[in-house]
Amino acid sequence: MVDAFAYVPAVVLLPFFSFLVALGAGKYLPKGGAFGGIAATAGSFLLSLWIATAVAGGRAYDETLYTWAAGDQFELTFGALIDPLSALMLVIVTLVALLVHVFSLGYMNDEGETGLPRYYAGLGLFTASMLGFVVADNLLMAFMFFELVGLCSYLLIGFHFREPGPPSAAKKAFLVTRFGDYFFLVGVVAVFATFGTAAFAGEGSFPALAEAALAGDQAVWTPGGLDVMTWFTVVGLLVLGGVVGKSAQFPLHTWLPDAMEGPTPVSALIHAATMVAAGVYLVARMYGFYALTPTTLAVIAFIGGFTALFAATMGVVKDELKQVLAYSTISQYGYMMLALGAGGYVAAVFHLTTHAFFKALLFLGAGSVIIAMHHNEDMWDMGGLKARMPVTYYTFLAGSLALAGIFPFAGFWSKDEILYEALVHGLNEPLLLGGYAMGLLAVPVTAFYTFRMVFLTFHGEPRTDLAADPEPVRWNVKGPLTVLGSLAVVTGLINMVPVQKVLGLEGIDYLHRWLDNEWGGIDGLSSHHYADLGPYSSGYIAGGEVPTVLVGAAVSLGLALAGLGLAWRLYNVASPTEHTAKLGGIKDVLYNNYYLDELQVWIAYRTEDIAGGADTFDQGIIDGVVNGVSSVSLAGGSRVRRIQTGLVSQYAAMLTLGLIALLVLIGVNGGWFL
Amino acid sequence: MAAVAASIPPQWYLLLAAGVFCIGLFGILTRSDALYFLMSVELMMNAANINFVAFSLYYGDLTGQVFALFVIALAAAEVAIGIGIILVLYRNFGDIDVTVPTEMRW
Repeated sequence: MVDAFAYVPAVVLLPFFSFLVALGAGKYLPKGGAFGGIAATAGSFLLSLWIATAVAGGRAYDETLYTWAAGDQFELTFGALIDPLSALMLVIVTLVALLVHVFSLGYMNDEGETGLPRYYAGLGLFTASMLGFVVADNLLMAFMFFELVGLCSYLLIGFHFREPGPPSAAKKAFLVTRFGDYFFLVGVVAVFATFGTAAFAGEGSFPALAEAALAGDQAVWTPGGLDVMTWFTVVGLLVLGGVVGKSAQFPLHTWLPDAMEGPTPVSALIHAATMVAAGVYLVARMYGFYALTPTTLAVIAFIGGFTALFAATMGVVKDELKQVLAYSTISQYGYMMLALGAGGYVAAVFHLTTHAFFKALLFLGAGSVIIAMHHNEDMWDMGGLKARMPVTYYTFLAGSLALAGIFPFAGFWSKDEILYEALVHGLNEPLLLGGYAMGLLAVPVTAFYTFRMVFLTFHGEPRTDLAADPEPVRWNVKGPLTVLGSLAVVTGLINMVPVQKVLGLEGIDYLHRWLDNEWGGIDGLSSHHYADLGPYSSGYIAGGEVPTVLVGAAVSLGLALAGLGLAWRLYNVASPTEHTAKLGGIKDVLYNNYYLDELQVWIAYRTEDIAGGADTFDQGIIDGVVNGVSSVSLAGGSRVRRIQTGLVSQYAAMLTLGLIALLVLIGVNGGWFL
Repeated sequence: MAAVAASIPPQWYLLLAAGVFCIGLFGILTRSDALYFLMSVELMMNAANINFVAFSLYYGDLTGQVFALFVIALAAAEVAIGIGIILVLYRNFGDIDVTVPTEMRW
């Protein structure tokens, strides 16, 4: 029997090879190298399934594969860590990447796009970097692949580089996430300085050391003898900077709506499985560390809850299909952060899973609509597409129901669990309760904008000639939609905690059991352990657990239905009108994203002097030293080269003189002449 | 043979080799004709050969003599290449004066 874990590197390397093949030989391959990417991601997907089976068989894997720098204090390594969390994430990422590759055949190839080898190379590298990030066994390796993911998003968002919009959006995405990553980098250095290791798992891992340090069993370095708890909070918040940037949380979310300039399959990949998911995954990966510091958790929960509501409100007024989806992504990742902050580790991973499927579905569905509409994305030009593209409609509807959190679709189960966790833990923790309130308020808003989008796009009468006669889509679009549509319906079944609690059925909370190492895993990385570390205690309303579950679910479902109903009333008519105008001044604020982009530009101009000073320092002092050294060498070289006359006799004379000098030196030292 | 060798002390051989070497060195330092160069190099190489053979005889070990044979073979090859270079030199510069081609300096 061959060991599945021996193929962990192959999962990462297969898409990387497809990147190399597409880059080097894509021009000469049919479909611009698409089949290489499909084969590679399909291979990775099968290997991931195999690895997940091995984990289900009760095993786990944590190996250092390559040490690229070793010192006295610590070593820097590449390694792979396969536990239930990373095995699950591998399956999600490879499945979504595979479907996105297939979909790209319809979206890119059939539409006659140019530069396809570059596109497929980007997709391959993107997938490979994300997979490398997922299997990373230490924080530094995670950081490196985190950065690679950022680079790939830059390359793919700016794919249509001849138009003015995409390159600027790509730069923005890169710079904004870089701003967060800067804190992350400082955090990585701080982790190394404090613990001397950045490993995620095992006895000597930094979460384990942090736990021991807080218990007083382990001495760690802190700057200036700072209190251990305070310092850990600072480190946690530094790393969180990278998470906020990548997962598009307030205030670094501004890059994500602009990133819609990229090709739609890329948006699906960015939003569902790679890039944005990376931030939340990172928190989940080092949750053993975050669970130790209540302040960090509270900050995470509050940022998450706020972002969930804040982004949802902006989604309400947008006119373009992909813009609505972009804000829904920010909002949904806010929910995941809320769950992580509220101690709902499993809930967050659950929502990450369901969201990956239904958001990929919605983006691919939007891509299908965009093909049909000849790349017009304005929802006011659509309408009535329901009858003309039924496959897209029904799958998109399934995704929308999941996004809105309607029973029994996937999103209902995961969102409900997040809100439940936030509620029961929040009853003893006011800040968390605030996060819960904002999360709950975002529910009807989410349902409203989701169905506003559905009704405007698919229902009513066609409002333009384009919508009346859409371009048909082929199997390569419908296939991925069908797969993801089915998943959006059934994924919730993997973790039906409310059903278990209400009916008293045991063991149908499969995801809980999976993440609790019930089948296999690594000690110290189980949800049970995290719950023990966390600072929260549960409180219940209406006298017990079961009523709390029922009330929580009923409230969130009721609010979602209310939002849906409002959208139904306003927009499910033959020729809907723009009701948002009634919001008056608020509409302008929402439509302009609360003027946050302008604020950031304003801040950038105010801080120009600092940047100028840093530039002067860099050009003058840093570069000055380097240039000084090089000019000394240059001047010295130009003098010394004069001795090279080109006359052989002179060379021979110099050789002889050198020999004599050497002989004299040795002779004097050896005492020959005495 | 051994009696003859024993009768001549090794330092004479070394002095002879040093003399031959110095003649060769003198030729290289003073002449500018490439053919003289070649011959001077041959002289220096044979000085080394004399040393090899002398020490081989002194220690009663044949390795040095074998080395000398190798050096002779190498010297033959070196002469072939050297003459080739001189030929090219002549074709390009119309002269075999080594002080003329100085294009390759800085």
